[in-house]
Amino acid sequence: MSPRDVGHDGGQFAQVSTGMAHAVEREIGQHLLALAHDGTEAAIDLRSIPMSDADRAELEESLGRGEVSATLDAMGRSDIWETAHAGVWWVRHFGTEGQVMAERIEIARVPDILRADPADVEAAAIRLGRARDFIDAHADSVAGG
Amino acid sequence: MADWMSQQGTVGEALTRQGISRRSLLKYSSYLATLLALPPTSSQAIAQALAGAKRQSVIWLSFQECTGCIESLTRSFSPSVEEMIFNLISLDYQETLQAAAGEAAERARLEAMEANKGKYVVVVDGSVSTRDGGIYSTAAGKTNLEVLKETAKDALAILSVGTCSSFGGIPRAHPNPTGAEPVSAIITDKPIINVSGCPPMPEVIAGTIAYLVTFGKLPELDHLGRPKPFFGDNIHDRCYRRPFYDQGKFAKSFDDAGAREGWCLYELGCKGPVTYNACATIKWNGNTSFPIQSGHGCLGCSEPNFWDAGSFYKPLPGRMTGAGEAVLGAAAVGAVAGAGSAFIARRRKAAASDPSASPSVPEGADQ
Ligand code: SF4
Repeated sequence: MSPRDVGHDGGQFAQVSTGMAHAVEREIGQHLLALAHDGTEAAIDLRSIPMSDADRAELEESLGRGEVSATLDAMGRSDIWETAHAGVWWVRHFGTEGQVMAERIEIARVPDILRADPADVEAAAIRLGRARDFIDAHADSVAGG
Repeated sequence: MADWMSQQGTVGEALTRQGISRRSLLKYSSYLATLLALPPTSSQAIAQALAGAKRQSVIWLSFQECTGCIESLTRSFSPSVEEMIFNLISLDYQETLQAAAGEAAERARLEAMEANKGKYVVVVDGSVSTRDGGIYSTAAGKTNLEVLKETAKDALAILSVGTCSSFGGIPRAHPNPTGAEPVSAIITDKPIINVSGCPPMPEVIAGTIAYLVTFGKLPELDHLGRPKPFFGDNIHDRCYRRPFYDQGKFAKSFDDAGAREGWCLYELGCKGPVTYNACATIKWNGNTSFPIQSGHGCLGCSEPNFWDAGSFYKPLPGRMTGAGEAVLGAAAVGAVAGAGSAFIARRRKAAASDPSASPSVPEGADQ
C-alpha cells in the first residue's frame, strides 16, 4: 500500500472481502421466497451495512444482470436494474455531483420509483390540457404557419 | 432569500411549484431512510408524509458564531440536498440569507412569529452572551439574550445547531469574556434539540429538520439532547482504524511508519473514544473522508467543553474500551443469513421511531 493510499482512505477495509456479500445474498433469497409466496415486498439498504467496496463488488457480480435496466434523471442520476433473479432489483441513487446517495436492493415486482406517482400524473395532465387549450386557441396561426 | 424559501403551504405544493417530481422526493426519502437508520421500506411512507406535510416555519437566529454552521448546510456536498431541505421549511428569517435588511428584516421576524404563533421552530447557531446583560453581542439594538427570549416564547421547539448554541462552544472557552452560554441554559420551558459539531454535519442538520417535518415530533435524544440516530454511536466504535487499536498498533508521530500504515491515532491525541457523532459513518464532503481518514485524530468537537479539555495532541488517560463492536468484528458476524438486517436492527435501537409505522403528518411537536 502506498503512503498516498493510507493518507487518503487509510482503507485496508475497502479491499477486504468480509463474507458480507454472501450473507446479504441469503437474506435476499428469504425475501424473494416471501415475494413469490404472498407478494410481500422488501428492501435492503446496502449503505447501512458495514460492507467494504470489495463486498459490494462481489454482491453485484454474483447477482448479475437481468432483462431490465433503467436510468432515472431526478435530482441526479439513478441506475436501476433487475438482477439475474426476477424480482430482485439493484437501485443506485447518485446526487447531482455524481456521489452515491443511497444504494439498495429492492425485492419487488417493480421498484416504486419507476411507477409514475399520481400527483405527477395529475400535474402532467393539467399541463397537457393547458397545452391543448393553447394549441386550440391558436389553431389558425399555427396552421397558417 | 428567494421568495419560495419563505412560502407557506405543503411540501408537495412547494415541489410542484419548483417542478420537482415525486420521484425526486422518493429518492430523497430513500436517502433519509439511510441517514436515519429507518427500514428501507419506509421511504415510500416518508415521501407521502412529506408531500402532505405543511412546510415548517423556521426562524433562524445567529448569535456568537462564525457562520460555519449555515455554511456547512448551504455548502453541503450536494446542492440537491440543500434544495430539498429548503422545500421542507419556510425559512422566514435568516440574517445571512435573507434579502431584507434593517427594520424590514426585524419586521419579517415579528410577522412570522405572529403568523405562526406556537408552531414555528427556532434554529439557533452561536452561543448567547449573558455577562453585563448580554451587551457583548447585539443586533438591531437588541442583545442576543433579549431576541432569544422574545423569539423562543411562542416557539414549538428549538434546534440548537452547532456546538456553540448546544454547549457554549468556543465563545464559552476559558476565560469566557462574554459570559457565553448555550441556549439550554437560558430557555428551560421548550423542547430543545442539540445538533452539535464545529461545524455540525450538513446531513445531520438536514436529517434532523426532515425528521421533525416528517414525523411531527422530536427524534429520540441522548443525555445531552442530541438526536440518537446521529449521535448514538461514538467515533471509536465506527472507526475503520479500530482493528489497529484492538491490536495495539499505534502511530507515534504523524509521519512515522505506523501513520503511513494507517494505524490508530490514539497516542497522537485522538478523542474518538469519547466523542459521539456521525463523522465516521456519513463522512464529510459527500462521503469522501473525515479527519481520522485524513490522518488527524478526532478533536471531539461535538462534545461539551472540547476546547478546554486538554491538548488535542495529548492521549486520553488510560486505554478506553468502546461499548460496541469493531467494524470488522461486525462484518465477521455477517457470515450468517440475515446478518445485514441484524446489524441494521442494532443501529435502529438508537433510531428515533418505529419506522414501519406510517409517519404522521406533523401537527406539532409532542414531546
Ligand atoms: S482512537 Fe481514534 S483513530 Fe484510534 S480507533 Fe479510536 S477513533 Fe479511530
